[in-house]
Amino acid sequence: MKKRMISFLCGAVMMFSSCAADRSAKNDTPEIAPAPDFYPITEIKEGRKNIYFILKILEGSSYWDVIINGAKASGDLYDCNIYLSGSNVETDWQGQQRLLDDAEKAGADAVVLAPDDSVKLSEKIAEVHERGTPVILIDTIANTEEYDVCYMTDNLIAGQYAAKEMIAQLTAMGKQPNEYLQVGIQVGATTSLTISERLAGFLQYWTDNAPSDWEVINDIKCNDGDVEKAKKCAAELMDGYPDLCGVFGPNNGSSVGFASTVRERGRTDIAVIGFDYCDDLAALIDDSSYTASSILQRQYYMSIYATESALKIINGESPKKKFVDTGVIVINPETINTPEAQEALKNS
Amino acid sequence: MKKENNSGLAYSGFEPAKSTVSFLRTLTVFLIICLIAVTVMIALINRLIKQHDKELTAEICSLVSEKVNNSIDHLTGSVENLSSVLSAQNASDLQQLYDELKRTKSEKFISLGLVDCDNNIYATDTEIEEFEKWHLLEISKFADPVSISSPYRSGLNGQPVFTMFSKLTYSGGKSGRLFVTYPLSEIQSIAYTASLDNKVEIWLMNAASNNIIQCAGVNKYSLGSWASALIQMKEINEEDKPDYFSWKEKMNNGEDNASLVYHINKELYTQVFSSIKIMKGWYIVVRLPSSSLSDTMVKFRYTVMGFSGVLFLATVVLLIIYHRRETKEKLLLENLSILDPLTSVMNRRAFDISAEELLSKKSRNGAALIFLDIDYFKQVNDQYGHETGDKVLREFSAALNDLFSDIGIVSRYGGDEFVVLLDTASRDIINEKLEQLTVRTKAINIFDEDDPRTGSFRVSFSAGAAQYPRNARDLKGLMACSDDALYIVKQKGRNGYGWYTDSKDKDYSYEGIKAAEDAARAQKKNIGGKHSRSKKQSSKKKK
Repeated sequence: MKKRMISFLCGAVMMFSSCAADRSAKNDTPEIAPAPDFYPITEIKEGRKNIYFILKILEGSSYWDVIINGAKASGDLYDCNIYLSGSNVETDWQGQQRLLDDAEKAGADAVVLAPDDSVKLSEKIAEVHERGTPVILIDTIANTEEYDVCYMTDNLIAGQYAAKEMIAQLTAMGKQPNEYLQVGIQVGATTSLTISERLAGFLQYWTDNAPSDWEVINDIKCNDGDVEKAKKCAAELMDGYPDLCGVFGPNNGSSVGFASTVRERGRTDIAVIGFDYCDDLAALIDDSSYTASSILQRQYYMSIYATESALKIINGESPKKKFVDTGVIVINPETINTPEAQEALKNS
Repeated sequence: MKKENNSGLAYSGFEPAKSTVSFLRTLTVFLIICLIAVTVMIALINRLIKQHDKELTAEICSLVSEKVNNSIDHLTGSVENLSSVLSAQNASDLQQLYDELKRTKSEKFISLGLVDCDNNIYATDTEIEEFEKWHLLEISKFADPVSISSPYRSGLNGQPVFTMFSKLTYSGGKSGRLFVTYPLSEIQSIAYTASLDNKVEIWLMNAASNNIIQCAGVNKYSLGSWASALIQMKEINEEDKPDYFSWKEKMNNGEDNASLVYHINKELYTQVFSSIKIMKGWYIVVRLPSSSLSDTMVKFRYTVMGFSGVLFLATVVLLIIYHRRETKEKLLLENLSILDPLTSVMNRRAFDISAEELLSKKSRNGAALIFLDIDYFKQVNDQYGHETGDKVLREFSAALNDLFSDIGIVSRYGGDEFVVLLDTASRDIINEKLEQLTVRTKAINIFDEDDPRTGSFRVSFSAGAAQYPRNARDLKGLMACSDDALYIVKQKGRNGYGWYTDSKDKDYSYEGIKAAEDAARAQKKNIGGKHSRSKKQSSKKKK
C-alpha cells in the first residue's frame, strides 16, 4: 500500500507539474572538438608582419578550403607570415574568443576573423581592436563598429544578380514579356540568413524588373540541406507546374538538386540559375542544349583583400570603407571563357 | 500465514490494519480531489492568461506600428525642414551650399548631401559609390516632396541604413534634392520599449516582393538582414495559413492596416501591419508572441501553485498525524475491550463474537475447538498465592499464543479455563501442537526463592477437543463437545488431552493421557488438599 501511495504521490506531482508548465524544452549539446592552436601556413620569416587568420571551419569544407588557399597565397603575395586556426563547427564562438586572446598574446600584428557569432563575439572583437590590434572581418560582419573593415559577399546583391541572370536567360530562350511563365525556387534551409538574403535579393529584383506575367511560384520548397530531397523538390516543381520555365537555387545543394533533375529529365526548356559551381551545374553550362548559369562567390579574394588591408592598417592607413562587397561572378556559356571567370573558377 | 501475537486477532475480525487501509483510501480520494481542483484552477488561469494576452498583444502591436510610423514621419519632417531652410537661402552655387552643409554633424545620420537639377551628386566618393550601387539617384527623382530608399547595408559603416530625399529649390527656382542617410537602428531605438525588450519584432515589408527587413527582434544577429516572408510563413501552423493568406491579401489590396493571430507550433503570435505613407508598397509589420505579456501572470500562477502545494502538503501531514493518534487511541480502546488484561489473550466476550464470525465463514476445511484447563490451579493460588497463580496464567497464555495464534484464536474463557478455536480440523496438526504445549507447560517455572515448596511444582493442563462440523455445527455444540472431552480427560486423571467422540462407550479416543497418569498422581500428592473435584459440573453450568 505504501508503494502504491508513493507512486500515486509521484504521479500526482508529475501531473501537477505538467499542468503548471506549458511546455518544456530539452537541449542536447553535441561535443565539439576544440579549436586547435595556431599553426603557420606560410614560410615564417624574421622581420615580416604576422597575420593571424581565425576561420569558421578548418577542415572538410570546399568553401573554407578556398579561403585558406587565399590566405596562403596572400602571405606570399604581400610578403608576410600567415598563421591559421579556427573552430571546427560554426557554433563554437567560445573557441574563436579564446583564439582572439591567443593571437594577441602571440603578438599578432593583425587578426583576420570570420566570426562564428556576430553578437556574442562583438565584445571580444571590440576589446582586441581597442587595445590596438587591427581586426579585419571576412565572410560575416559583427554587431559592432569596433573593427577596421569587413570583406564579404553582399548576398542581397548576389540574389539580385541571380534574378537579373534569370530574366536574361529566359529572354534568350525566346520567352516573351506577355507570355505567362513560372519560376520555381527551393532553398537549403529556412533559417539561414545567407540564403534568405539571396532569396530576398532575387525577389526584389524580380518584382521590380520582370514582366508581370512572369510569376515566381509562392510555394518555395525547402530541402533541409539534403541533396536527395533537393532532387525530389525539383521533381515536384517540374511535375506540379506545367508553365515552369526557370528554377533558382540560392545555395549549393538546391542548385545540385535542380541541375541534376533537369539533366536527368532532359528538360532543355527550363533555365537553371544556381549558386556555386557544382559538377551538375557545370555540365549543364557546358552542354549548349541547356540554359544554365552559376553565381560564384569570390571568397578567395576575401583572404587576399583582408591581408592587403591588414598590412595597410599596420602601416597607418585607414580603410575608406568599413564594408566591402567582394562581389560575385556570373558564369554562363557566354562568360565562362572570360579571364575573370576562368580566374574565379580556378579559385573556387 | 502471518504470525499474529495478539490472540490470533487476524482471525478475529478485530484488525487495526483495516482502519489504516480505510485512511489511505480516504487520503487517496482527498489527493485526487485536490489534484483535480488544482488542475482545473490552473487550466482556468492559463486560459485567462491566453485570452488576456491575445487581446492585449493586438493593441500593443498596433501601438508599436503607429509609433514606428510616427518616427518615420518625424525623420521625414526633419529632412523636409532642413530642405526648406536650404531652399530659403536660394543659393546660386550648390557646391558652396554643400560645403556649408557637410560641416553639419549629428550622431543621428550617417551622411548627407545634395543632388542638383542635372543629377550631379554633391557627396564624398564613397557616398557616390553607394548611389551607384543602390540606384539611389532613381529614388531621389521621386522626391515630391520626399522619397525614401529601401534599406541597404552601407559601405560606410557596414550597418543597415536607408536614405531620405527631399525636394529643394536653389538659384532662382532650380529643383534639386537633399539626401540624408539614417541607420536603420534609428527606427529600432525609437520603437524600443523597455518592458518588451527582445520580445517585439518589427519588420519593414514590401508587399510585392514579400521581402522583409528586421528592425527589431529577438535575434539580434538578424537585425538589418533581409529575409522573405514566403519563407517565414512556412513556419506557421497549417491550420492558420489561410488566415495568413487573407491578411497578406489585405496588404496586397492596399489596405492601411490589418491584424492576424497564428500559431507557430504551440506559441501564439499576433501580427499587425500598417502602411508607410511615404514608402509606397512598404508596410511596418509588428509581431508579438502572446506569451511575452504573460510574465506577471505566470508569476501569479506559480505563486498560486506554490501556495496550493504548501497547503496541500500541510493538510496531508496534519491528516497523517491525526490518523496516527486516532489509530493509537483506537488500538488502545480495542485492546481494552477485546483482550484479557492479565494474559493479553482474547476475553470471553470477544471470543464469542469472533468464534461465531469465524465459524459462519467456514465451509470445507473445517475447524476445531479445544477447551483447556490448568490442572489444580485453585490449589496453586491457595498454596503459593495469587501472584504465582497470575504468573502461571500469563506463561500458559503466552505458550498458547505462540503455538496457536497462527492458526486460530486463543481466549481466556474464565479463571484457569482457556478456549482455542482453530482454523483447521486436522487432528495431526492439533495433536502436534498440543504435544508442544505439554512440553512448554512443563517448562513453566514458578520457583520462588522465598518459598522452597514451589521448586517441586510442575504445571500441567488438561484439554478436550472437538471438530467442526463433524462433532457440532455451531459454537455452542462445539463447546459442549470439547467440555465433554475435557471431562473425560479429567476423569482419567488430568495432564492430558482428548478428542470428543459421538460414542463415549465404544469409540472414545483418549490420547496421551496414560503416559501422564503417574505424573498426575505424584502431582496430587505434592499439592495435597481436594484436587479430585470434577469440573464437569461447573463446565456444564457454563453451557
